[in-house]
Amino acid sequence: MKGPSIDWAGLSPVLAVMGGAMIVLLTGLLRSRFVRESLVPLLAIATLATFAGLSIWQWDEGKDIVSAALRVDTFAMYLNCLFAVAGIAAVLLSWRALAPRESAHGEYYSLLLFSIGGMAVLVAAQNTVTLFLGFELLSIPLYVLCATEMRRASSLESGLKYLVIGSVGSATLVYGLALLYGATGSTDFSEMAGILAARGDLARDSLLLGGVALVVVGLAFKASVAPFHQWTPDVYEGAPTPITSFMAVATKAAAFGVLLRMMDVALLPVAEDWGVVLAALAVVSIVVGNVGALGQSSLKRLLAWSSVAQAGYLLAGVVVATRLGVQATVFYLAVYMLMTLAAFAVVVARERETDLGDHVDSVNGLGWTRPWLAWPLTIAMLSLAGLPATGGFIGKISLLEATVDGGWTWLGIAIVLGSAASLAYYLRVIAAMWMRPAPAARAVPALAGGSQELDPPEAPREGGATEGAFAAEHDGHADGDGDRRGHWEVTLVAVVAAIATLAAGIYPDPLFDVARDASESFRALL
Amino acid sequence: MTSVKTFAWLTLLLPLAGCLINGLGFRLLRGRMPGYVGTAVLLGSFVCAVLMLFALQDLPEERRQVEAVAWEYMTLKGSVDAKLMLLVDPLSVFMTVTITGVSTLIHLYSISYLSGDRGYARYFSYLNFFVFSMLLLILAGSFMILIVGWAFVGAASYLLISYWYRRETATAAGMKAFVINVLGDVGLVLGTFFIFRGTGTLDFLESFERVGDVSSGDLTAGCILLLIGAFAKSAQIPLHTWLPDAMEGPTPVSALIHAATMVTAGVYLIARMWPLFEQAPNAAAVGAIVGCLTLFVSATIGLVVTDLKRIIAYSTMSQIGYMVMAVSSGAYVAGIFHFYTHAFFKALLFMAAGSVIAAMAGVQNIDRMRGFRTAMPFTFGCFVVGGLSLAGVPPFAGFFSKDEVLAYVADRGDWHIALVVVGYVTAFITAVYTFRMIFRVFFGEPSPEARELEDGHLHHADVPTNPVSGEAEDTDVGFPGPEHHIAERALPMRIAMGLLALGAIVAGWIQIPNVTEALDHFLEPTFAESRFHEELHPSDALTFGGMALGAVLSIAGIAVAYLIWMKRPAIATTLRERFRPLHTLFANKWYADEALDRLFVRPGAWFGRFAQHTFERVVVDGLFVGGPVGLVRAGSAAVRSRQSGFLRAYAALMVLGLAGVVLWFLLRA
Repeated sequence: MKGPSIDWAGLSPVLAVMGGAMIVLLTGLLRSRFVRESLVPLLAIATLATFAGLSIWQWDEGKDIVSAALRVDTFAMYLNCLFAVAGIAAVLLSWRALAPRESAHGEYYSLLLFSIGGMAVLVAAQNTVTLFLGFELLSIPLYVLCATEMRRASSLESGLKYLVIGSVGSATLVYGLALLYGATGSTDFSEMAGILAARGDLARDSLLLGGVALVVVGLAFKASVAPFHQWTPDVYEGAPTPITSFMAVATKAAAFGVLLRMMDVALLPVAEDWGVVLAALAVVSIVVGNVGALGQSSLKRLLAWSSVAQAGYLLAGVVVATRLGVQATVFYLAVYMLMTLAAFAVVVARERETDLGDHVDSVNGLGWTRPWLAWPLTIAMLSLAGLPATGGFIGKISLLEATVDGGWTWLGIAIVLGSAASLAYYLRVIAAMWMRPAPAARAVPALAGGSQELDPPEAPREGGATEGAFAAEHDGHADGDGDRRGHWEVTLVAVVAAIATLAAGIYPDPLFDVARDASESFRALL
Repeated sequence: MTSVKTFAWLTLLLPLAGCLINGLGFRLLRGRMPGYVGTAVLLGSFVCAVLMLFALQDLPEERRQVEAVAWEYMTLKGSVDAKLMLLVDPLSVFMTVTITGVSTLIHLYSISYLSGDRGYARYFSYLNFFVFSMLLLILAGSFMILIVGWAFVGAASYLLISYWYRRETATAAGMKAFVINVLGDVGLVLGTFFIFRGTGTLDFLESFERVGDVSSGDLTAGCILLLIGAFAKSAQIPLHTWLPDAMEGPTPVSALIHAATMVTAGVYLIARMWPLFEQAPNAAAVGAIVGCLTLFVSATIGLVVTDLKRIIAYSTMSQIGYMVMAVSSGAYVAGIFHFYTHAFFKALLFMAAGSVIAAMAGVQNIDRMRGFRTAMPFTFGCFVVGGLSLAGVPPFAGFFSKDEVLAYVADRGDWHIALVVVGYVTAFITAVYTFRMIFRVFFGEPSPEARELEDGHLHHADVPTNPVSGEAEDTDVGFPGPEHHIAERALPMRIAMGLLALGAIVAGWIQIPNVTEALDHFLEPTFAESRFHEELHPSDALTFGGMALGAVLSIAGIAVAYLIWMKRPAIATTLRERFRPLHTLFANKWYADEALDRLFVRPGAWFGRFAQHTFERVVVDGLFVGGPVGLVRAGSAAVRSRQSGFLRAYAALMVLGLAGVVLWFLLRA
């Protein structure tokens, strides 16, 4: 008996990440502490590196695999690389975190990898069935991951909320997909587009339009577009911070990936119908996200609201339905990932170093005490707000170019006004870092692992403030060292992401080229 | 071609590297290491600049305008073409070589001069950053890079002028310089916009080609705005008041900012933009007249000021006035030539003044300085060489360049003759005030400090005081810190001053009329198509007559100075009494600060108060801000109040949103 021919090369990225997830899961069963705490994350990183490498190998293939259920093209491979980077960052941030210890390392990292596998399937999906398969494969591990700090009620709450609201979103999506099938009689994206283009009367068909509406809502939920965003701040705040950072960047990239594919391939012929809706949602997101972030004192909630606003900006690139729009969206996804990772890495670091959790006060005076954390967060905030010489600036400019070029100038104006307003809360964080005094050194709890005799006493500062200023300028060693539970891998993520954000703002050419390549996967677009 | 580009980038990036090494590695660099690092990178930059010059000379003459594009920063469909691009042509290369050369010597001088200062590494980091910014400005190949470099120079000058940040007068001076410079930045940016509107490109060479597309109104407006930028950077009336105050910075900073770099940026800008200014003769005339006004006014102030560094500062303004007048009148090569010789003798004068001020333990008032000739023979020698060059005595460098400027401007004829007359009068005044400094500081009965130095001991004040306000100050602020350095005792300072003194003597010999015209030929490719470059050729009679007149005037000036301050000291008092109103006018700097205060600052402040109390509270706060802020607050409250934490509420809103979207779609069906 002869089976169908299988394109192993095309499948290899997905296979690698799934296989790696299995290996990680099984390795995690070993009892050695070294294996659990070091080998498992290392294996996860190796898996993700392989995943990225194979995606780069398949970069220019542009072929359909698995009976055209999946499409291996530059666009999907580009997003795969983003997922891999986000995944590696998440692994590094989780390395010494509480969550994997509480939930067992093997399970934690393999769930992360399964989720990435789901994303890879999702953005390569070419028909509604694989789309939904990827969607669920991405979501379910994340529901669990949100709840991995099992002894913290808010983590459990976050997982549960995500599960319930996520189910509503999934239900909406799957219903919408069913209606689309009902209207067009096809599950394949390009066939659907062909049918829609051929039969003009379908554009006024309530079955089809209802389906489009439900699909838009289902995907908007995943991308945390207002008014389907309400889960975002709660889930972001409750979930373990490394997972939050992963959700913020990778899930968003996956959601926009599938949104682009759905809208700009399958539903392109009815672009006139959904364009206005998405534009309206984009404006609502920009307003709601920026307004909601204003009064936040929790950094994670602040970043959650800001991610709602950023989703609004990104949506503008989908609305225009041009290659320029796709290029701007995927470019912005990459810089959004970098700047958000830098910000979350600093939050992770400060959660471990202070008792203040993710409160804005936890970064007070960071500029003086921890410049290696303060600069990345500063760069991330400026980039999120879109200041020149950062990746966020270039990203916003290209989104603006796309909107103006596509005839949606008013949407561009909304983006500009939104970014201007967003400075109000981004600058607050920067001001806290550079303009407020650092909190007094934390009193060492007598019974929490340290002892008064062994801990070095706080060196008495002679001569008051002027001496202090002198010491800060000339002899920072006193402040720089000492055990503050600063973990190098967290700082590494922050610094690398911040440098990359700056690089994308100063030398955007390479990333532009890659984004242009990715946008050329959409052959039907102008 | 490629080697030109490589050297251009190296020249530019080496100072930046030095800035980063010193700025980030200050904890690792001990002792004088930051100074050595800072100087070494600058020396490397200078070598690269010279190699760039040679590489450029190897190219055929018509290809000596090389554009080095690193990458395209942003190209938006049909509008902006922002490229990270340098333009290497004879003009920029010549400026680069001069700037890096003189800056290297200033760095070298600073190694010793600042070595007692606590912010040593910070100082060199700023200094490197300043040179980087200046090179960015000079080598810029498009308006975008020019604007960036322009703004960086302003920021760097702020950092350097307020380097002793605990000295209040210094921080105030830094702010003043920065504010006036930002005014210039605004002019530059708006001017760029006017030109960009017509040409549609930011690229220099393309803009120059398409200058015909700009309407004449736009072009004149654009050029005048560019001039505002140039005036602010080059301290021309009425935007000059920051420069004398900027003397609050360490003396080598004054040498750097006010000799070869920042203040010449305006001259460079006008020379670089010649294709624009030649099409906008009215704007060029404004430049020429303002330059002429500045050169005269600041020379008269230089006659009466008693602060040693400020005399030199006013003389800088005056010399920059010559350059601005030259380049605005089409005498481009002459203007650049004067920039080049000025870089040498002015840096030298500042350095020598720094040495004297160190010997005085920070005192800058020439009333208290006397008879340093025997105590500081080397400094004296350098000061005299610089002074002779500044006064324009043959065959020192300043003589050739100043007379070339005046001869070329005179060749324009017409009303330019009036400018030239003022120029010659000022040349005479220049000689007088220069030798006023020399005679008063170095001759006569030695002052106590000079006597102490003759006995082999460097004077240290009991209580260090701020030279301007006279308040006692903390030596941690820096100079006058615990250590002082004079050229006689510090080798790096001596090398730097010696080399500059050599330059101040011979630098002018590259361009002697009818003998060598090296600079003219070298700059030919940049100005080849210029109308004035073709037309302006002063006759031999004009040239040599002018030179003779210049020489006579300078020697007469020295003689007058000798008469007043050496021979019969009483004359000075008599003159002061006789011309009391004039003296008051000069001593109060023509009331420029007061005029600016009355004309702009006070009305501005009054308007500001009115705006704040009346307009702002009622209209802005109430209507514009209050409304949106209230709206945003209400929105924020509303959005957050929806964020109840209850799942059922979230699901309800989702369903509501869903219903809205579905309804919209179904209504279209």
